[in-house]
Amino acid sequence: METITALFPWITNGPLILVQVMSGLSVGMFLFLVSVGMSLIFGVTRIVNLAHGSLYMVGAYLMVTLIGFLPQRPWAFWLALLLAPLGVAVVGGVIEVALLRLIYRRDPLMQLILTFALILVIGTLVLIVWGPDNKSVPRPEALAGSVRVFGQPFPTYYLVVLALAPLVAVGLWLIFYRTRWGMLIRAATVDREMLGALGVDVSRLYTEVFMFGSWLAGLGGALAAPTVAVALGMDGDVLTTAFVVVVIGGLGSFAGSFVSALLVGELQSFGILIFPAISIVLLFALMAVVLIVRPCGLFGRPEE
Amino acid sequence: MYMRRTSVTTWMVVPSMLLSLTAGVPTVAAQGKPIRIGEINSYSGLATVFTFPYKEGLLMATKEINDAGGVLGRPLEFIFRDDKLRPDEAVKAARELVLQEQVDFLAGCITSAVGLAVSAYAKEAKTLYFATHCQTSRLTWDDGHRYVAHTTNNVNQYVRVMARKAATLGYKKWAHISPDYEYGQNMWEEFSTYLKQLKPDVQYVQQNWPKLGESDHSSYITALLQSGSEAFFSALWGAQEINFVKQAQPFGLFDKMRFFAPAVGNPDELDPLGKEAPIGAVTSGFAWYDEGLQKRHPKLAEWAKRYTEWSKGKEPKLGASWGYASGYIIAEAIKRAKSTDTDKVIGVLSEGFEMDFPWGKVVMRGCDQQAIPPQWVGVVKMNAQGRPIMTEVEEVHGKEIVRSCDEVAQLRAAAAAKQKK
Repeated sequence: METITALFPWITNGPLILVQVMSGLSVGMFLFLVSVGMSLIFGVTRIVNLAHGSLYMVGAYLMVTLIGFLPQRPWAFWLALLLAPLGVAVVGGVIEVALLRLIYRRDPLMQLILTFALILVIGTLVLIVWGPDNKSVPRPEALAGSVRVFGQPFPTYYLVVLALAPLVAVGLWLIFYRTRWGMLIRAATVDREMLGALGVDVSRLYTEVFMFGSWLAGLGGALAAPTVAVALGMDGDVLTTAFVVVVIGGLGSFAGSFVSALLVGELQSFGILIFPAISIVLLFALMAVVLIVRPCGLFGRPEE
Repeated sequence: MYMRRTSVTTWMVVPSMLLSLTAGVPTVAAQGKPIRIGEINSYSGLATVFTFPYKEGLLMATKEINDAGGVLGRPLEFIFRDDKLRPDEAVKAARELVLQEQVDFLAGCITSAVGLAVSAYAKEAKTLYFATHCQTSRLTWDDGHRYVAHTTNNVNQYVRVMARKAATLGYKKWAHISPDYEYGQNMWEEFSTYLKQLKPDVQYVQQNWPKLGESDHSSYITALLQSGSEAFFSALWGAQEINFVKQAQPFGLFDKMRFFAPAVGNPDELDPLGKEAPIGAVTSGFAWYDEGLQKRHPKLAEWAKRYTEWSKGKEPKLGASWGYASGYIIAEAIKRAKSTDTDKVIGVLSEGFEMDFPWGKVVMRGCDQQAIPPQWVGVVKMNAQGRPIMTEVEEVHGKEIVRSCDEVAQLRAAAAAKQKK
C-alpha cells in the first residue's frame, strides 16, 4: 500500500479523484455527441463517414462567426449554440444529396476515399473562408468561473455540459424508441432492402439521417468551442477518438456509443494520472482488447 | 482503423501515379535568368497560422530586393512547395526541386522534424539549404554541417532569455508543462539547465508532458495546482496553448502561480484568447507595437506600416519578420559571394556577417552558420482598448546568451561520437 501511495500520491485524495471522474465524464459527453452521429450514419447508410470530424470543426467555426455577428448579450451564446448545429446539418444535407447518394452501391473502399477526400476539401474550404488564424469563443460570462465541488474548483461550463449531454441522450432515446421516424431508422439498420420494399422512401430517410448525424457533430463542435482553440486541425484529433469510441461501442449502436464515450473519457482522464507516458496508447489498447473479446464492439451486432 | 489506412494508401497512390505522368515533362531551366530558390513549408492545415505571415514577409523582401535591381543583376525567385507537415513529403519536394526544377538553393521548414530531414537531404545532395522557420538547435549544432544555414533564432536563444528573466525574480519552486516531442523536450532541457546555472537554489518539483496536440488539459491543471510550485514554464504553443490557457482560467491557475510561456505573448495566441489571456504571464515574442521598442528601433514603426500595406491590412507577426529577414539574409549571402555557386556562398556563410533590420542587428555566425537576432522578454497586460498585449519589453541580444562556438564544437563532437557507437 505504501508503494502505491508513493507512486500515486493522489490516491488518498478522495475529492481529487471525484473531480477527476467528473472531468472524465464531461470529456466523455463531448465524445458521445460526435460519435453517436457517426455511429448513426453508419448504422443506416453503411458509410463510415471520415468527414465527421470536419463537420465537428465546421460547427465550432460557425459558432465563432455567429458569436461575432450576434449582439453581445447573454442570450447570444445560446442562440448561436442553437443555430450553429443547424448550419452543419444543412452542410451535411448538401454532402449527402450531391455526393454520397451517387456511391451507395459502390465498393466500400470508394466510399472511404470519398469521405476521406471530403476531409481535405472541407479543411481547405475552412482555411479559405475563416483564414489561417486561431479563433476562440469566450465562455458566457455566467459560466466563465468555477464552482467548488467536494472542496475542489470545477469549471462551471463543464457542469453545464454534464447536464446538457444526458438531456441530448434522453432526447435521442425518445426519438429512436418512441417515434415513427426512430422506428424507421432502427428498421433501416436491420434490413434496408425490406424497408424499401415496404414502401418507405429510403433515399429520403438517408438524407434525413445524414443531416441528423451532422447536426450532432455540429452540436459537439459548438459545445466544445468555448473550451478549446477553434483552429485548423481540430478535425483530425476528434475524428481519431470518435472513431475509437464508435468501434469500442459497436458500429451503429446507440447505447454502445454512450457507454464507450464515457469509458474513453474516464480512461483519458485517469490514464494521464496513472500512466502519463502511455496515456495515448491506452486508448488503442482498450480498442484492441475489445476487438479481440467482442469483434463487433461492446454493443454491436454481427452482420449476417 | 484498418479501413482508414487502406483508404489513405489508395488515396495516395492514385494521384501520385497521375502526377508522375505530368511531372515528367522537362521544364527548361532559365539559365542566367532569375536566381531560383525552392521553398518547402507547410501551406495547408494547422501551420498556416504561422506560415502565411511568414510567406507574406518573404515575398515582401523579395519584391523590395528585385525592385532595387535584384541580386547580381538577377531577380530572386522562390518556388513554393507544401510539405503537409511531413518530413517524407518535404524530402520528396526537395528532391523534385533540386533534380527537376534545378533550383540554386533550398529554403523553408516550420517543424523541426521537416527541417532536420531536408537538412539531411541537402547534405547528401550537396545543395545549400537555408532553414528559415523551424527552431530546433540540433539543426546547426548537434547535426550541423556545411550545407545548412539557419536564418532565424533557435530554441537555445529565446529560452535562455526567459530563464535569465526568471532568475531575476524570486521564484524557487518550479514546475513545467511541455508537449512530449523533440521541441518540447529541447525547450525544457534548455530552460531548466540554464536557470539552475544562474540560480542554483531553484527546485524542479513537478513535470507535465501532454502529448503534442492534446486538447483536454484538465488533469494536468489539477496536477499543477497540487504541485506547490511558485512558478511554471510552458513550452506549449499555438492552438494547444490556447486550449490550455482557456481550460486553466476557471481554476485561477495564473493567479496562484507565475506563468512563463515564450509563445503566449504572440498575437496568434493573445488575440483569440482576448479577455481570457493570462495577465501577468512572462513571455517572449515580437512586440513591434511597443513604444519602447519603437523608440529603440526608429525604423520599426515605418516597417510595420509598410508590411500592413503590403499584406492588405494585416498586422506584422513574428513569422512575418522571420520571412522578411530570411529573404534578405539569403540575398546578402549570394551578393557577398558574387556568385550562386554553392561552395562560394558557403564560404561567405562560414566567415559570417552582420545585417541591420528594422528590429535590430542580426548576426550570421560563421562557425555554425546560425542567425543570432535580438531577443525580447515582456509581460502580458491588457491595453486601454481591452486587447491583451506584451508590455514591459526588455531587449537582450542573442549574442550575449547563446552557446559559444566552442560549446557548439563540443556538441557536434558528442553527436559524432554517439553516431559512431
